[in-house]
Amino acid sequence: MKLINMTVNGDKMVAYIPDGRVMLVDVLRDQFGLTGTKVGCGVGQCGACTVIMNGEPVTSCTVLAEKAESSEILTIEGLAKEGQLHPIQEAFIKAGAVQCGFCTPGLIMRLYALFSKNPDADETSIKDALGKHICRCTGYESILEAALLAQKELKTLV
Amino acid sequence: MHNYVGKEFDRVDAVDKVTGIAVFTADIALPRMLHMKVLRSGRPHALITSIDTSTAESMDGVKKVVTGTNCDILFGTCLWDQPPLANGKVRHAGEPVAAVIAETPWQAAEALKKIKVTYEDLPYVLDPIEAAKQDAPLIHEKNGEYRHISYVVHPIKGSNIFHHYKLRKGDVKKGFVDADVIVEDNFEFPLSSHTALEPHAAICRFHHDGSIEMWASNQAPFVLRDVLSDMFKVPASKVRVHIPYLGGGFGGKSDVSIEPLVAYAASFVPGYAVKLVLTRQEVITGSLLGRGMKGHMRLGAKSDGTLVALEASMYFADGAYGDTSWAIDTVAGHNCTGPFEIPNCHVDVYGVYTNSPSVGAYRGYGHPEGHLMVNRLMDRLARKLNIPLPEIMKKNFLKEGKVNALGQKITKHHGDICKCLDAVYGSIFTENVPKEDDDYFYGRGLAAMMKSPKMSTNAASTCYLQMNVDGSIFINLSGIEMGQGVHTVFSQIAAEAMNMPVCKINVYKDVDTQFSPWEWQTVASMQTYRGGRAIQDACRKAVELLKYNASLVFHSDVSHVDYDGQYCIHKLTGERIPIGSLARGYSYENGLTVGIPVQTTGYYRVADLTEPDPETGMGNAAGSWTFGCQAALIRIAKATGKIDILHFASAFDIGKAINPKTARGQVVGGVVQGLGATLMEKISFKEDGNIKNVNFPAYVVPRIKDIPHKQTVFLFETPNNEGPWSAKPMAEHPIVAVAPCILNAIYDAIGVEFAKLPVLPSDILGSIDRKE
Repeated sequence: MKLINMTVNGDKMVAYIPDGRVMLVDVLRDQFGLTGTKVGCGVGQCGACTVIMNGEPVTSCTVLAEKAESSEILTIEGLAKEGQLHPIQEAFIKAGAVQCGFCTPGLIMRLYALFSKNPDADETSIKDALGKHICRCTGYESILEAALLAQKELKTLV
Repeated sequence: MHNYVGKEFDRVDAVDKVTGIAVFTADIALPRMLHMKVLRSGRPHALITSIDTSTAESMDGVKKVVTGTNCDILFGTCLWDQPPLANGKVRHAGEPVAAVIAETPWQAAEALKKIKVTYEDLPYVLDPIEAAKQDAPLIHEKNGEYRHISYVVHPIKGSNIFHHYKLRKGDVKKGFVDADVIVEDNFEFPLSSHTALEPHAAICRFHHDGSIEMWASNQAPFVLRDVLSDMFKVPASKVRVHIPYLGGGFGGKSDVSIEPLVAYAASFVPGYAVKLVLTRQEVITGSLLGRGMKGHMRLGAKSDGTLVALEASMYFADGAYGDTSWAIDTVAGHNCTGPFEIPNCHVDVYGVYTNSPSVGAYRGYGHPEGHLMVNRLMDRLARKLNIPLPEIMKKNFLKEGKVNALGQKITKHHGDICKCLDAVYGSIFTENVPKEDDDYFYGRGLAAMMKSPKMSTNAASTCYLQMNVDGSIFINLSGIEMGQGVHTVFSQIAAEAMNMPVCKINVYKDVDTQFSPWEWQTVASMQTYRGGRAIQDACRKAVELLKYNASLVFHSDVSHVDYDGQYCIHKLTGERIPIGSLARGYSYENGLTVGIPVQTTGYYRVADLTEPDPETGMGNAAGSWTFGCQAALIRIAKATGKIDILHFASAFDIGKAINPKTARGQVVGGVVQGLGATLMEKISFKEDGNIKNVNFPAYVVPRIKDIPHKQTVFLFETPNNEGPWSAKPMAEHPIVAVAPCILNAIYDAIGVEFAKLPVLPSDILGSIDRKE
């Protein structure tokens, strides 16, 4: 048994790590109640569990919880501020990029990481980032549209 | 003109979903909740000779280990052939043999490793044609003796065939004698995984009073409720099922899958909630798969292209248990003619037990399988007769006055398939196909489709409506929101029917069988169509009540009262009352209240359906049809065999697009899912009968790099008297004709007749090599 500290969505949090192979996603979901982060495959292939750890997108189902000691984590719950949606969230709604919604948080976090680092990411880079995710509902067309729309919107805010 | 129908409103569930607040079953934690893990057999067909759970039971945190040893329950809805946990025998490698219930999932998983099971292996069979043979290993000794509804399920005793559907229309022998040209081939549509991104999950609690409560990722809450009621001999009124948001279904979460297992395990620890969330591996090995057909089709035509005869046999590898697939087999038979009139048909469909996971509904429900065969053969027929494919299609289309395979007459309002064909043809075929170059072959393909939903003959949707004192309304239906956008469409339909803004409508988001009105289930693309009509009915009754309440206040006849969405108005005096003031009856200043609270119930059932006749397979079994066509321009890389879809066009006559944006979303997504089946997806087995590709990336599904460079979508709206403002089923339809469309394009590009899915780059390279 171990205790680990991390900052999640700006709040200092302490997680209790029980026996076994405990992943970051388990801590986020089961201990912190941040169930917006989803598990679709458990092997880092579908992207549904993507969160930002120290500025980098990670698949939280493949990151051991103890590796998150002293880290800064941002999850989907931390994106909207004071009732105001983040432009990427707005863009997903406008572009009709949400269907069942299970892949949505991971995709939004991936794009958040991409545009934070590279606001001018070209379409190939955007597609490479989205290529780490599986969405079974939309056929991806509207997700790409949302990404481009969000990028445009984010640039106007700079 | 409509104000709210036919408009692109944002989804009502979108904000919850983009902020991570939307709750799915796996997100739910309940007081006094335990976790469950499942030991699966790992062998495809074997007798269980012993199970030793003693060590597992003594481990930390373990509350209970459950096996099927003394379980005499068989569950089902029409064919009761499945135990919740294997009892004495396993019939596929993912079959649950034991379940551990512990305080944490990890403790449960650790205890699983300590369960000792010994088996006596039996010969196993995966191929449905092999399994149907008389000398095949018998998977169910009691096939034919199980309780079943004998009018619809037709088992052949002493074999692995648990359902034989026959279609006998006209005189097929004479038909083929009359034919000038005959084409035929063998086809395969392999087993595949629905791959809804949310893995199946369920939580069950047996209360101490004997009642059962369940939370589940399931498309059919009332079917599930009735199955649990039947399993445990508890009145349906004592079973409560909650369904939160569903992270995709595509049929794989209907009718029931893991829920009977979770309930059976939970029955041993009354008072506790028991939660099971499948891993992706378990979704593939231990829930439901789709398709799995091997078939043969023969098609005969006159020299002018008129179709005269069709003969087909289809064998479905339906897996270890048959209840979730028999109806798919029937529908596959009904609809294997595609959207064509064929006077003489002789079709045999066999639902066959195989040592693989059970097959269930999968987007398209038996249609893609038959449509692969008939569309590929139509393409070949056209070439053989030297008649353009669109021409031969139009000659034989099921249009006004034609009779389908079931003997039902098609009318004009069923839709304009010729218009659909012209649209996609215009998109893809009017420009010259690029000439073969150093790197690529180019080709174009065309396919046509129809889909008729298969439903229980009493299938209905019902709606509760409640008006509030501010004039806003609650709409409560049990249609499951699984991504298709049904709550958004429901709110638009209610807004239109009540003539009030969408923001005044609240559609209940959670389904709870204790409070939600009865609904058959969310399958067959029927919620907009059937649920929409139920909403219209409830709204009409609400307006009638409002007018009645106003007439009491006006001291006038109801016929003198108008309703405009905000007020009830006296036609002669112009007096008006806000509708909110009439919602609970009307209260005068002194408190005296008159009238009736505005709460109504609406319903809709597709009328006069019957099950197909057991001998001819015909009858009034299809309640509605949606027609469409798809066409594609592809290129094939010479070096790699990889296929790129340059342009994919789809056209469907859906009667009315209630929300054109969400409707387009269904088409674009369905096409990509269909491309997965065509070019990538197949469940493969190892030598030992276990599935080889149990997770991503081994199970390959389309990613963004695989999508068409361009998709064009046409939604036509032929008025009809079926759905709300003519809206008809359309959500499964985009997947139905994708495979033959692409295979026809491959023929156009390289002259190779593919008939088996998926067509992989290696298959393309191999075929080019052979040709050279």
